Amino acid sequence: MTKVITANDTQQNARGEKKVTHERPVVKEPDFQKIENSPGFRELMHKKKKFLISTTALFLGLYLLFNIVISYTNWLDAPFIGDITWVWVFAFSLFAMTWILVTVYMKKAEKFDAMAKATLKEFDYDEEDTK
Amino acid sequence: MNATVISIFIFIVGITLVITYFAAKRTNSASDFYTAGGGLTGWQNGLAIAGDYLSAASFLGIAGAIALFGFDGFLFSIGYLVAYLVVLFIVAEPLRNLGKYTLADMINARFNAKKVRGAAALSSITIVIFYMIAQLVGAGALIQLLFGIDYIWAVLLVGIMMTIYVLFGGMTATSWVQIIKAVLLMVGTVILSFLVLKNFNFNILDMFTQMKTATPHGEAYLSPGVKYKIPLDTISLMLALVLGTAGLPHILMRFFTVKDAKTARSSVMWATWIVGIFYVMTIFLGFGAAAFVGSDLITSTNPAGNMAAPLLAQALGGDILMSFISAVAFATILAVVAGLVLTGASAFAHDIYGQIIKKGQATERQQMLAARYASLGVSAFSILLAIFAQSLNVAFLVSLAFCIAASANLPVILYTIFWKRFNTTGAISAILTGLISALVLVSLSPSVMNPVAGAAIFVGDPIFPLTNPALFSVPLGFIGGWVGTMLSKELDVKKYSEVNVRANTGGFRQL
Repeated sequence: MTKVITANDTQQNARGEKKVTHERPVVKEPDFQKIENSPGFRELMHKKKKFLISTTALFLGLYLLFNIVISYTNWLDAPFIGDITWVWVFAFSLFAMTWILVTVYMKKAEKFDAMAKATLKEFDYDEEDTK
Repeated sequence: MNATVISIFIFIVGITLVITYFAAKRTNSASDFYTAGGGLTGWQNGLAIAGDYLSAASFLGIAGAIALFGFDGFLFSIGYLVAYLVVLFIVAEPLRNLGKYTLADMINARFNAKKVRGAAALSSITIVIFYMIAQLVGAGALIQLLFGIDYIWAVLLVGIMMTIYVLFGGMTATSWVQIIKAVLLMVGTVILSFLVLKNFNFNILDMFTQMKTATPHGEAYLSPGVKYKIPLDTISLMLALVLGTAGLPHILMRFFTVKDAKTARSSVMWATWIVGIFYVMTIFLGFGAAAFVGSDLITSTNPAGNMAAPLLAQALGGDILMSFISAVAFATILAVVAGLVLTGASAFAHDIYGQIIKKGQATERQQMLAARYASLGVSAFSILLAIFAQSLNVAFLVSLAFCIAASANLPVILYTIFWKRFNTTGAISAILTGLISALVLVSLSPSVMNPVAGAAIFVGDPIFPLTNPALFSVPLGFIGGWVGTMLSKELDVKKYSEVNVRANTGGFRQL
């Protein structure tokens, strides 16, 4: 889990001599504010937010636009090819958009993972400890 | 009911029982019970998410809606799919990094307050109950039609099966039932789509041309506006669909069955492809049913159009295909209700009993017992409700569940992860404002109060004009959270740093 030091360690430091009392483990909380303010983490959050906010605005915007246009106008009833109208084309582009954004995100997330791992390593966090 | 139907049916039920038997042997702890020990892989969980998501409402409901209303029926497919981007981008990974078994765990990673946990459990239970009644009522009606047995016996049959899966096999059995069902459903849908396309000579352009004259709606069939004529109502419904998925407790729970955020992410990717391909094929099912079965026969068998897919199978593939599709529909219902029972049970046994009453001090044995009693209780209660709710409109119940999920759960999830100033009071007021406004607005809406006798529960003019209140209740949930936060001076910057770091790096997991 988190770094564990034993109670007798602190005793030893205070007195400057070996004085073993109880073997009670004291869990040392990691300094999350320090991690949060580290350049690595800040860069991760900056990149992540930039990506998430812009893509979320894009897909929610297109989705709402589609619903507003089909609800209030007949613009998409014009034919595209044969009897297939633009409304089907727009609907399918929302499908394609979903798959494309999922694929893009999977790639991006690997970079975010690497940045997160580097940050954790910088603060001596060993992933195996959680197991 | 003929011999083919019975044998295919017994075969599928048999497989699921064998799975439950083996899963039961591996279910020894609360973690096994709720999350299958967190040991599912990305593709397994992806299939299970798809299996959980593609309910009878998706399979039978959308196929029927497209058959009867053309493009307007397809709107559901679009909303349900795009919703996965919200799940993937915003919810899946922080949820996995912060939570243990339930949504309340994740919010409590930041607040650790009984009232917040209680409010989150309450909204989860409410959503699960509405969703469950919808599934059971739909199941009862469907099995009544497919196998010719009484509604009450049909509900009892599904109810007993789901209880067995969850009670003995926990999340392992539930997940595998969902995985197998997802595979069967995809196979069935591909076969049906192929047969439909074959009958249109594999010519998509020609298919659209033929559809212009195949239904009573004429050319309008291929355009929006056949069913949804009030613009704000359509937009409100579509908003509930796209935002609701990310707040559905039984979908959120699936992210705890994998080991880390990376696997959670890849399971959403799998689910998005499977669900998306399925929704594309709903067009073929719907068009095929409209062209080769005909809307008269579809509506005379079931006015809501739920029998369109089985009737299409009968028309194109004869009795064997019809039996197979019916059995798949049955498996679909079982998989979804089992997931719902487990989710409801986790809110009762883990959140309310384990964390609030026992303050997290319950032993492993007590937790397992509580989980099993809660599963039994949730099952019995929903079977009872479903028996009395026979006449309720299923589509209305499902869209209500999505609306509550979007209004009560999504705001609190977003604030917990992203807003530093957010606090305990804000969390409680976000959940309660969303939950109450969705419930109140629905009870004043045309779905509950309708001037036409028999169209809704009460006769009278609706006070609130929209059928689905998401357009108002979702913003209200966000405003409720903001006002609640501002009314309280509480601000724990240190705790937010911890949540922020843990949610975004996956490190320092508290197990």
